[in-house]
Amino acid sequence: MTLFLAALLPVLATGPADADAVKLPVPKVEYRINEASASRSPWIDANGWQLLRAPTRHYFYDVPAASVALAAAEAFMYGAKVDIHTESAGAAIFNRMLQFLREIPERGELPTLANIGVIDDGSAETGELMNLLTRRNLLYRNVTAPDPQLGLNIRLGSQQYPKSEAADPSKLAQKIRTELTDDKRLLRVYGSEVVITRLVGAGGQVRIHLLNYANRPVTGLRVRVLGNYPSWHVAAYDKPDLKLEDFTASDGATEFTVPEMSTYAVIDLSKSSSH
Amino acid sequence: MHRRDFLQLATVASACAATPIDIPKYRVVSRFAPSPKPGMPGPFPGKAVRVHSEKSVDTATGSVDAPTVTEMLSRGMRSLTGAKDERDAWANFFDASDVVGIKVNCSGAPKIFSARQLVGGIVDNLIARGIPARNIYIYERFPDQLSSVRYDRYLPAGINIFAAEATRGSSASYDPNTYVETNFFGEDDTRSNMIRLVTERFTKIINVPNMKDHAAAGVTGCLKNIAYGDFSNVARSHNREKTNTLSFIGTLAMVEPLRSRTVLQIMDGLRGVWHGGPFSEDPKFRFYPKTIVFGTDPVAIDRLLLDVIETKRKAEGALSIWDRSIDNVKPGRLDPHFGSFIREPGHIEYASRLGLGVYDLQKIAVTNIEV
Repeated sequence: MTLFLAALLPVLATGPADADAVKLPVPKVEYRINEASASRSPWIDANGWQLLRAPTRHYFYDVPAASVALAAAEAFMYGAKVDIHTESAGAAIFNRMLQFLREIPERGELPTLANIGVIDDGSAETGELMNLLTRRNLLYRNVTAPDPQLGLNIRLGSQQYPKSEAADPSKLAQKIRTELTDDKRLLRVYGSEVVITRLVGAGGQVRIHLLNYANRPVTGLRVRVLGNYPSWHVAAYDKPDLKLEDFTASDGATEFTVPEMSTYAVIDLSKSSSH
Repeated sequence: MHRRDFLQLATVASACAATPIDIPKYRVVSRFAPSPKPGMPGPFPGKAVRVHSEKSVDTATGSVDAPTVTEMLSRGMRSLTGAKDERDAWANFFDASDVVGIKVNCSGAPKIFSARQLVGGIVDNLIARGIPARNIYIYERFPDQLSSVRYDRYLPAGINIFAAEATRGSSASYDPNTYVETNFFGEDDTRSNMIRLVTERFTKIINVPNMKDHAAAGVTGCLKNIAYGDFSNVARSHNREKTNTLSFIGTLAMVEPLRSRTVLQIMDGLRGVWHGGPFSEDPKFRFYPKTIVFGTDPVAIDRLLLDVIETKRKAEGALSIWDRSIDNVKPGRLDPHFGSFIREPGHIEYASRLGLGVYDLQKIAVTNIEV
């Protein structure tokens, strides 16, 4: 079982990268307004799939100051061991994010909640599929064998998911979504194409991570989680007074609006009113 | 809050019975019950009053003559209602307790938009009914388009000028509990939410569209302006050459409370766009019908619009709005011999089958007035 290591904090590196550390691309959004494509959705460079694939490896980013907060939050969200290299102007930003991450309430090690199990053969094709699932908020976790508790289990090369379908990972991700059905998805977000989520939880409480890959705030983000969770707590970077709005918990689902978030927000929901 | 889901699948199914294409599944969520007397089609189904004046627009400059528009507005409203004077005409729809939203169209701005003189005349009549300026809103979705028109320079102090998306794509001003959910092409955000002012503030809405071609919908008039102009995340319906505008426009216009509260349609056809719409980047595609159309039935008025745009396009040698050949779809080209999408002018007939108005020309009573 993949565990979320809540207390693992990114480190600001001062020297050269460790020889064993794997470099991660700069996390960001590329807008494709004038590009002819099947979709006008922005392209997100996100590293979640790599961090989930090899959660115990040592990683590093080399990012400009403008990307430091996002990189640090991405590393924290996936519980990865990460060093961050940046220009001098990035140090203050890093420290501000680090301070925020330290203030997020400790909830212990909560397991990943997912709809989909991916049996990872280590191939590039499976990696790209995991990347697409991450970017589309189709929640998955890596499994070594099919898990009957999950809605779907994916092994590329199987009869149901032949390798040939991996040539178009976007289409394959869509097929998986259709087979799962949106109604069964544990977590949905509405109102943004640039927020990537992660869901962990156990024992009547869940933690939702919302990571905004754009360099501007997201406003009016609507979140839906399966399950009735009447109590909430929110911690949002640069928004210390943030309150959730239009909160409902009924009919087997909890919905709320995040009125405005900058880079990162962590929302704890609980079935207990004393949470 | 209690939420009631009005699943309109049965209605949609009957509306598409004669349409040989797949209609997406729509899930309509609203806590508002349908009104027994909804604003659309309202008290005058199948009725349209066309007021024309040659002196309304200077075609050399595109400027609108305010006194002429005032007279056109007065004649149109009196004819529509049968009232002896303007005060009684507007009293058919509004009283001093109303909070009124005026849904303008600014997608062709800064050249083509709901004329300031017409909007100003509407506001003057609302104020004359005793509605305070603070209870009148001029609204659109996008602030860049709305602000370029500068309605503020032509309206009394205190009128609200509101754009729903302070930044493009922001959902903050939409109602999270009133939406249409559908998946057109695999997009992850499958909801289109209604503007919050409509659900929480307005008691009445006046729809003031333009007369324009629309590359996806065929034309954009009353239905398109009130539907796509009051919901978020609607451009996804025309993400591909074959769009979903046929059914989405009417489906959105049916959602409560929008349908019940939209009580008056005043189509600004002083200036129009016969190709390239809804935008107006190239002046050679502008034309000047010099007409304002009044009614409560958006389908009837839009049915007339179909002929206006098609006739003008035919005169210019442009592709028919009814052409459905994929060979004539050349995205990104502003050439009147081609389209960017397969146009769906059938959205108007589709809306009529949902109950939004009268489509059959033989059943539409048109009054023509010359000023």
